[in-house]
Amino acid sequence: MISLYKIYYLRIVENFWEQKSSVIALGVLSALYFGSVGVAWAVTGEFTRWGGHFLEIIGVDVSHYTYLKLINFAGSPLTRIDGVMVIGMFSGAFISALFGQNVKLRLPSGRRILQALLGGIIAGFGTRMAMGCNLAALFTGIPQFSFHTWLFTFGTIVGTFYGLKLSMHPLMMGEPKLVSVKTVGNMLQDRWYYRVQPYIGFLGLILFILYLLQKVSANYALNLLIATCFGFGFGFLIQKGQICFTSAFRDLWLIGRSKMTKALVWGMVVQTLITAVFLAQGMPPKVIWWAGPGALLGGALFGLGIVIAGGCETGWMYRSVEGQIQFWFVGIGNVIGATILILAWDSGIYTWLVEPFPRINLVTNFGYVGAIILTIAMLFSLYIWADWRQVSNQGIVVRRSKHDEANG
Amino acid sequence: MMKQTDKLYLLDLRGEPCPYPVIFSLNTLGKLAKGSIVEVLADCPQSFISVPEEVVKAGYEMMEIPQKIGPTLRFLIKVPE
Repeated sequence: MISLYKIYYLRIVENFWEQKSSVIALGVLSALYFGSVGVAWAVTGEFTRWGGHFLEIIGVDVSHYTYLKLINFAGSPLTRIDGVMVIGMFSGAFISALFGQNVKLRLPSGRRILQALLGGIIAGFGTRMAMGCNLAALFTGIPQFSFHTWLFTFGTIVGTFYGLKLSMHPLMMGEPKLVSVKTVGNMLQDRWYYRVQPYIGFLGLILFILYLLQKVSANYALNLLIATCFGFGFGFLIQKGQICFTSAFRDLWLIGRSKMTKALVWGMVVQTLITAVFLAQGMPPKVIWWAGPGALLGGALFGLGIVIAGGCETGWMYRSVEGQIQFWFVGIGNVIGATILILAWDSGIYTWLVEPFPRINLVTNFGYVGAIILTIAMLFSLYIWADWRQVSNQGIVVRRSKHDEANG
Repeated sequence: MMKQTDKLYLLDLRGEPCPYPVIFSLNTLGKLAKGSIVEVLADCPQSFISVPEEVVKAGYEMMEIPQKIGPTLRFLIKVPE
């Protein structure tokens, strides 16, 4: 009995979860989230509203910025669906990190902090130009059948390639410390402040449930309550499964690693089918935006930025609560980048890159069957490409076999 | 675990985020003589899955299953003879 308990406890609570299952669970959860509160799972719109609040605090009159109107800037994070969802995500990710004894303040070098800030700003700016990040313009956007998400995804794939090239420049990369030693395997020690983390996690979970119960008894708005719960689930899953959207494309270029890409494809296929059911029942689609150079260029900037920064708009959320200080700066960078976009939107970006181009809903153009077939065909092509890079062993890093060949 | 050989190394990648643990591990291993043993330390959680899989794919040997002690990860990797 005790060993069974140990096996399941370790597997469910402490260990990481298998990536593919976690992403498929995220896909199902995202579709149900749309079905229950009517919005797509997204985070950067909310980060942009934080930028709006910041502008207000420093005394800027934000009433004439059209971008803020476009993303329904009103209220506070506690009264917005996206706002409470994001808070739920941080809570879920933190509790998941505690469960797995993964919370530790990790101090990066100054170089990495600069990278984080710079990459975060580029990604934050690009993602808002395209009207969404790896979520609303990719993972939860593609299942909504908006064509702009395809352009964004293509831009992201290209952008991550150049981001990786930049990240591997000797000036960015630095040199790791390799030392000769007499013995190995005796450096790591278990510490009480790691061992207690799962217990703190359980305490946190109880507090979260009490918080929900208190809100229920106070007749809190039901959609906010639902959004908080979904947010908790999203955050928990991305931490437990270590769902890194950045790695899905970056690692394909780097070492032909395709696990994450394939997992994303599965997650999106499942989500596409469930989302179609909700849409067919008459729910209005949420993220049909302009399919033009704004989406393409925004995707490219996003791809470039996330690789330089080390993580995307969801990646920084779970890593920052794991104590990876570098990712606090990615988050700050994202908000700064999105804020710059608010200010720049009315000075040419909208007029030249966005407004002249149509909003293309695949369902309107091809019907449900056509839209589903097209979407799944596109996702399948992505899968094949990823698999091909994996089996043909393509990548930038030197492998032993190639190294030996080079040395005769 | 103690190993007696003169080609022992420690590669401390704690604090480095992805993708650097994978890049640094593969680059370092590529430069070492055959028979070398490297202890890699990292604390980027993703490395727990990606580093062991990628070093094996690249032709190196994992000498033990990946260790996780608190948030710190340890990989013992050998450059095959």
